[in-house]
Amino acid sequence: MNLIHAAALVNESPAIITRHLTKSYGPVEALRGLDLDVQRGEIFGFLGPNGAGKTTTIRCLLDLIRPDGGTATVLGLDPQTHPVAVRARVGYLPGELHLEGNHTGRRVLRYFSALRGRPVAWDVANALAERLRLDLDRPVKNLSKGNKQKVGLVQALMHRPELLLLDEPTSGLDPLMQQEVLALLREAKAGGATVFFCSHIMSEVEALAERVGIIRQGRLVEVADTAALIGRAVHHAKVQFRNPVDGDVLDGVPGVTVLARDDSRIFTLQVEGEMDGLIKALAAFPVTHLETTRASLEDVFLAYYQDDDVPTEDH
Amino acid sequence: MGAVFRYTLIRFRGRILAWGLALAALGLFIIPFYDLYLEQEESMLQLLEAYPPEVMAFFGGMADITSPEGFLDGQLATLPVILGIFAVLAGSALLARDEESGRLDLILAHPVSRLALFGGRLAAFVAATFAILTLCWLGFSIPLSGSSMGVSWGQMTLPFLSVLAVVLAFGTLALLLSMLLSSRRRAAGTAGGVMVASFFLSGLANLNADLEPFARILPYEYFQGGSAINGLNLVWFAGLLAVSAFFSALAGWRFQRRDIRVGGEGSLGLARPAFLSRLRRTSL
Repeated sequence: MNLIHAAALVNESPAIITRHLTKSYGPVEALRGLDLDVQRGEIFGFLGPNGAGKTTTIRCLLDLIRPDGGTATVLGLDPQTHPVAVRARVGYLPGELHLEGNHTGRRVLRYFSALRGRPVAWDVANALAERLRLDLDRPVKNLSKGNKQKVGLVQALMHRPELLLLDEPTSGLDPLMQQEVLALLREAKAGGATVFFCSHIMSEVEALAERVGIIRQGRLVEVADTAALIGRAVHHAKVQFRNPVDGDVLDGVPGVTVLARDDSRIFTLQVEGEMDGLIKALAAFPVTHLETTRASLEDVFLAYYQDDDVPTEDH
Repeated sequence: MGAVFRYTLIRFRGRILAWGLALAALGLFIIPFYDLYLEQEESMLQLLEAYPPEVMAFFGGMADITSPEGFLDGQLATLPVILGIFAVLAGSALLARDEESGRLDLILAHPVSRLALFGGRLAAFVAATFAILTLCWLGFSIPLSGSSMGVSWGQMTLPFLSVLAVVLAFGTLALLLSMLLSSRRRAAGTAGGVMVASFFLSGLANLNADLEPFARILPYEYFQGGSAINGLNLVWFAGLLAVSAFFSALAGWRFQRRDIRVGGEGSLGLARPAFLSRLRRTSL
């Protein structure tokens, strides 16, 4: 393979690939053969409860920890053999951000830029700080959790990385700032960046991610387009007929289960998949009231985890 | 590596000034006493004779307290331990402090290799120790011109080079232990314990020859003290530097290979003997 061909592969390969990635902390298996593909230029939401392996995955991708087995590739490079080259192209925000308390935000940014071997792009950093309403001249120790998070976001974004690895990017931010951060991430994507982020805020993932991966006990159990995943979710509907109706009529509709009935006029239904069949079945009867609850990513997420014990540690 | 060195040295500057100026003040205070010792030679010798012979032996004789090297021997005897406190605390914290606070994650997510981070911080630690000793040396050298000691500034450099070598050995030991043990405190405590044991074993070996083999494997035994003004023992000096280099290399090797802990984690994943795990489970 010549050098030009190799360079082209590096530039065209998916942003993140992991194959059979395993990592244990003593007796605790944090990753149990994780297979993951994140394409360039997409926004990928990585979901899972505490201890599912989200942070461990990100830390493997940055070579902060070494996997016990399997392989990982970031922007076409192996992070274990080319850690500096990978990190030069990545912006990272840890789930628990710790900064030097005595330094101002501006000094923190200057330090991180020095580690990158380049001067701070103050035009970019100041613009980001302004949008996030962050005062860069206050010591970090005097900043609230949300404002510290903003410093972390600025340092992750200011060098315009090709790949953003963000662990709970809106943690500690107020709703207005959360929206601003989502806008910044969409703009980063529009600029060609790939965004890989973990979050517990399902509405945020739903609003931002084009694809989501759900990790459960160290294994990826689902990867799908966000809209398609929600479309496959279970909906709930409550229908009220003008006259009593035989419930068997509704029970026979594919994907529909009658959960409760009241006086043969009010039915609570569970609908799997599309609503089309139900609507057609209802058309045969006079309906006085129809109420449906929109399925959310949270419903999908909870469906994967409802039988699990609640893990207590972050991995 | 340059940026790491520069920023780490900036972090050290408060400690350089505090330790350096305090020890320099000690020198400015102590050296003028030499002439007083000479004036009171007879009574000083009487005073020394009044000490129990064991105490005299512990400090290596001290019979010639009115000679420049004897005087400096007495005054510099504890300097490696005093400055060793700085070295042990700074060495153990060099990487482990940021790691335990969770800051190392973000630092190492930037394009800096672990080797560069390690090398830059180690170089800053050595430079900080050197800077403190330079201030201290100035404090001991400035009064020389007004003293009848007859020691030049150049001669005064030699005991401080010996101190530097001993202190670096303790500091790099603490650094190595911080890469091996589960917490910075344990590393500092263990290295500090070794330092104090080394100091006492060196003294006690003068009283009990059976302790000499133990004293010989610890760094303080190779501290020359005031006698270095007559010539630095280059074998001892180079030997201590080689030990420091060995500890540093081991620490760097370990840092290159191990996982970076998340803030608050206590374990580096080192194998714990099975009986200890059982014991812990039983006690819980």
